[in-house]
Amino acid sequence: MSATAVEAGGGAGLRRFLVRHVLMSEYLVLYLSVLYFLAIWPFVPEMATASTAGNILSAMLPLLVVAIGQTIVLIIAGIDLSVTAVIAMASVVGASIMTGDGGYLAGSPFAVPGGIVAFLVIGGAVGLFNGVCSTKLRMPSFIVTLTMMMFLSGAALWYTTAHTETSSIAALPSAFVAIGGGDVAGIPNALWVALAVAVAMHLLLSRTLFGQWLYAIGRNREAARISGVPVDKVIIWAFVISGLLAALASILYTGRLETGTPVLGRRFLLDIIGAAVIGGTSLFGGHGKVVWTVFGVLFLAMINASLDLIGLGHDFAVGVKGAVILLAAVLDAARRRVLARQ
Amino acid sequence: MPMISRRSFTVGTLMSLGVAGMPMFVRAQEGKTVALLFDSLVSPFWVSGIEIMRQTAEAKGWTTLEAISDFDDNKQFEQVQAMIERQVDGILIIQTDANAVIPAIRAANEAGIPMVHFNRPPAENEYYSVAIQADNRKITQDTVQFMVDEARRLGGTYKAAILIGDLGDVNAIQRRDGFFDIVDQNTDIIEVVARIATEWNADKAFAGLTNAFQANPDINFLFTSSDFMLPQIQQVLRVAGRWHKRGEEGHVIFGAFDGDATAYQLLVDGYLDADGVQNLFLEVEMAFGAFEAMWAGEQPDKLLLDPGFVIHAGNLEEVRDEMWGYVVWQKEHG
Repeated sequence: MSATAVEAGGGAGLRRFLVRHVLMSEYLVLYLSVLYFLAIWPFVPEMATASTAGNILSAMLPLLVVAIGQTIVLIIAGIDLSVTAVIAMASVVGASIMTGDGGYLAGSPFAVPGGIVAFLVIGGAVGLFNGVCSTKLRMPSFIVTLTMMMFLSGAALWYTTAHTETSSIAALPSAFVAIGGGDVAGIPNALWVALAVAVAMHLLLSRTLFGQWLYAIGRNREAARISGVPVDKVIIWAFVISGLLAALASILYTGRLETGTPVLGRRFLLDIIGAAVIGGTSLFGGHGKVVWTVFGVLFLAMINASLDLIGLGHDFAVGVKGAVILLAAVLDAARRRVLARQ
Repeated sequence: MPMISRRSFTVGTLMSLGVAGMPMFVRAQEGKTVALLFDSLVSPFWVSGIEIMRQTAEAKGWTTLEAISDFDDNKQFEQVQAMIERQVDGILIIQTDANAVIPAIRAANEAGIPMVHFNRPPAENEYYSVAIQADNRKITQDTVQFMVDEARRLGGTYKAAILIGDLGDVNAIQRRDGFFDIVDQNTDIIEVVARIATEWNADKAFAGLTNAFQANPDINFLFTSSDFMLPQIQQVLRVAGRWHKRGEEGHVIFGAFDGDATAYQLLVDGYLDADGVQNLFLEVEMAFGAFEAMWAGEQPDKLLLDPGFVIHAGNLEEVRDEMWGYVVWQKEHG
């Protein structure tokens, strides 16, 4: 064999290796994250510092919690656009209960538990409402959750102005703030919360009958119903889980900012859905994993952190972010196309 | 075995390298580096503001790094953390929420990096930072008082509408309060029939004002909390047949706030009666002066106020040089 033929064979081998082990891998987005890190590192050396890694981690955690909830809903071929408004509404209601500045339970030992319960009740109740409307009234989840988002966004502003002269609610108890912003021996408290959620949801999806029902409904709702899956109940529970996780994310965000604010989360709906979809969860239902969403969130958090560090002008920053996400989406689409052919 | 063509592989690789290479253009330079952290560039005020800051910083030999949070407090906190990692010499921040910025102030204090809040002060807190702010309430009071004086001069009774900003923004709240401070003292001639929540969104302003004019076609006293909504207001008034100059039959007594180029043009044309002006040049000078003072070891007051002024037909030529919108207008009109 000639040297040229060997080289050509080596090149083909490399391509085959890349296709089989990278492009076709369910870890593609993780590989892209690593590639992005390596590409950006020479220009932004601060990316490799421990404190930047800590910042990326702390940015990831609340987003991960709410994105996992979104993943559950996407798996059943639904969508939950109300999560950002749940984050805002829960933030101001929970804060109004706990705040030392005239809160309903100010100074009481029940302030923090009471506030946390309020967060979760709002998330659960909104999720229940969304689920019931989607199933019993046969309303598209897009419409139900979109209108819920609009209603709650306005209600959160109204609630805030009814409780304070300023635009947000501060003076939150330090025990609460520590959940979102504190750490133990350098490990953020939020990490334990996010880890617990990720593990629990992973087990729910992969090891339980409920998880199988979620995938079955996402692939073909009518077939699932005929097969005896309690479709309505499962869908309602999917929305309740999404609402509860949005509320949990709200606890982390509110603690981090030490403030209950009615505009919290208003701008990152696309990051939430984007993280799940970039990770590989299908918008058409039936496909999705917690670990994929972890990769999607990591990818977005890394892009955001690098662009923040660079300090680009806004137009350029948005362009770079869009280009990188587009590149990831194109690669993912190519992968799916090849998999479909197989 | 699935195959990817050589061409596809090459294109993909080039795209990756191209995207990764974009940041090369913005490597830090020598000298003082200041981070400009805006929450939006949603109006001409902010667009002009960041441009004046860039030019002023360049004239001083400073480098600027920029980030926009898009009204996201959490995102802005992450941007502050990133700028601390970059070890900038100062952080100029325009936060969305006065309370939510406090963890960022604490982080900057811990890193020993001076922080200046531009146009919006933080809530009262135990940490140190300097805020530059227009005296929104006073400037609005003066503007609305001018409108009320005009109304009394012309006689009759008035139905008023106000376009309110995002109530998550302290500036919007102060301007709303400044409006009602004056109007509430003049209820014998003015009745407020429409409070339009715009959330600093021009589309919502358009829809809200359209609805207000349908419900109350006789609105004849109008105040907008920001000049950036002037084109939408003009459109609504035109459609409603109420777009008339001062002195013409059916003129709506019209006041605004900011001092942009459109406001200047409308003052010249006679459609706008008064505009409350934030002195943007002075505010940038005050902000950068605060950085220099802090670098020199001084500790300026935590709140430095721009007194602003009201511009109207009577003092137009006298004070327009201090109106940032006039400077923009001059550039646009040669």
